[in-house]
Amino acid sequence: MGVIRKTIIYIFLILLILAWLLPIFSIVQAAIKSPAEFNSTSFFQFPTRIAIVENFKMAIKQWKLHEFFLNSLIYSITGGVITIIAASMAGFSLIRLKPKFNFPLFLIIYSGTLFPFQMYLIPLYRIFNQIGLYDTKTGMILVYSALCIPFSLFVYRGFYTTIPKEIEDAALIDGCNSFQLYLRIFLPQSIAPTAVVALFQMSWIWNDLLFGMVLTRTDNARPVMVSLASMSGVSGGIIPYIMAGVIFTSLPTIILFILLRRYFISGMVLSMAGE
Amino acid sequence: MKNYNKFASYLYVLPAFLLVFFLLLIPMFQNIYYSFFQWDGISQPIFNGLNNYIQLFKDSNFLTSFLNTILWVVFTLLFPVFGGLLIAVFLRGIKFSDFFKSIFYIPITISFVATGIIWNYMYSRQIGVLNTILGLFGVDKISWLTSVPLNTFSLLITWTWQQLGVNMVLFLMGLTSIPVEQTEAASIEGANRWQVFIYVTFPMLRPITTVVIAMATANSFKVFDLIYVMTRGGPYRSSETLAVTMFRESFTMSNMGYGASISVVLSIIVVAISVIYLRSMLKKDLLYY
Repeated sequence: MGVIRKTIIYIFLILLILAWLLPIFSIVQAAIKSPAEFNSTSFFQFPTRIAIVENFKMAIKQWKLHEFFLNSLIYSITGGVITIIAASMAGFSLIRLKPKFNFPLFLIIYSGTLFPFQMYLIPLYRIFNQIGLYDTKTGMILVYSALCIPFSLFVYRGFYTTIPKEIEDAALIDGCNSFQLYLRIFLPQSIAPTAVVALFQMSWIWNDLLFGMVLTRTDNARPVMVSLASMSGVSGGIIPYIMAGVIFTSLPTIILFILLRRYFISGMVLSMAGE
Repeated sequence: MKNYNKFASYLYVLPAFLLVFFLLLIPMFQNIYYSFFQWDGISQPIFNGLNNYIQLFKDSNFLTSFLNTILWVVFTLLFPVFGGLLIAVFLRGIKFSDFFKSIFYIPITISFVATGIIWNYMYSRQIGVLNTILGLFGVDKISWLTSVPLNTFSLLITWTWQQLGVNMVLFLMGLTSIPVEQTEAASIEGANRWQVFIYVTFPMLRPITTVVIAMATANSFKVFDLIYVMTRGGPYRSSETLAVTMFRESFTMSNMGYGASISVVLSIIVVAISVIYLRSMLKKDLLYY
């Protein structure tokens, strides 16, 4: 019985794995073939020549992907850094300096994770048009930071409750003021929460489509996913170029995931608790 | 214990508070306010009372969208969630389980937009991978994304491809936290594998199952990117869900007041679900993990 059961499970899992790998295999194969070869050969014929570099070049040239790539890089890094600084400072204060109303303050900021994004789109579109932030990099950075802060505050706040009081007391004897305490004691210890925030929030900014579509119009401020989405129109387009574009624009999040994969599980637990 | 400067303690919170207050909280209340107006985004808004909300229930596009959203939720619970649990159970104590796990992980690292584009190619009627493979078995070309209601199910297959890994990881985490003695004791007393799962494993997984179900449900209400990239909600608005309908009414058709009322309905549903699992969080069930 045991052997039969195991065999069935293995066959089931292997079939599923093949189904999961098929799309990955398909895009890599399509991105490798030159457009001419892609049109003249069938899916089952392997490429005779590796044309992926030319496809990358064409995708960049025709859709100016590198410009949008740079925009999103600026958004992810700047938005990520602002989020990390603002959320860690707020978390530090709410837990260790304990101002009056620290819990209501936390709840107010944290309520930003509760609502679907559709709730903010129309007013942001209107306000940004009125105050000149529509279609600007500054506007996008501000929106992305605001959207990332609530979850990040939850992560930092939770982490700071675990830092032992003794460390703080030792710093106090040495005559630290509160900013030195934050900068020298709390921030350097925040590797784990910062990794979680970087992994989840920076890749969220990179992958955003919705706010990019609503709040930008020109190449100057468009994020990368909006331009990627426009590559695959109804007409279809040239598949090898499109797939090269998909791989090119997915690299940052894949690299981030590989670098920080240790923090993926803890981040998932936190986002379950913190969504 | 030295007292820090009271004023300074607020300064640390100020940047986070200001960003969230001006860019999320105020817009949220404005959005509720707009939902009572008829407004095209340019001219002066006209007060409309509850008419936007009454209109929703007469609007066949909204009702289709609402029905699709329910379909997304049900399907999400069946495939990415229950499927994720099933695979997590299968992967326990099997050789190469780390390898299998990492394959299911891959789609998590790429965006919804990239996923949508990849699957547009898979589903393409003329050159698509699926039709090419099915053609080997003599199956006629299928219009995966343009025939109703198949298009919604095609979208849901893609959704499963992307989401299953997340749920699998969470269930695996829950499973490893169950003490082996418990299941062994049940086996010794003569329970078969199925009985062990139903009477021992599953009840102990309950806290994490609650959270996974609530999170997956809330996420399936929010789906936008995948549908927008793959079908634009079409053909003829047949594959829209609430998030897509809201975007289309507000930014394509310039019915901003009406769009705002759709987002309010969507928010009420999502917040209600979130409250359910925030309550289970408060019971500290999750502390076991």
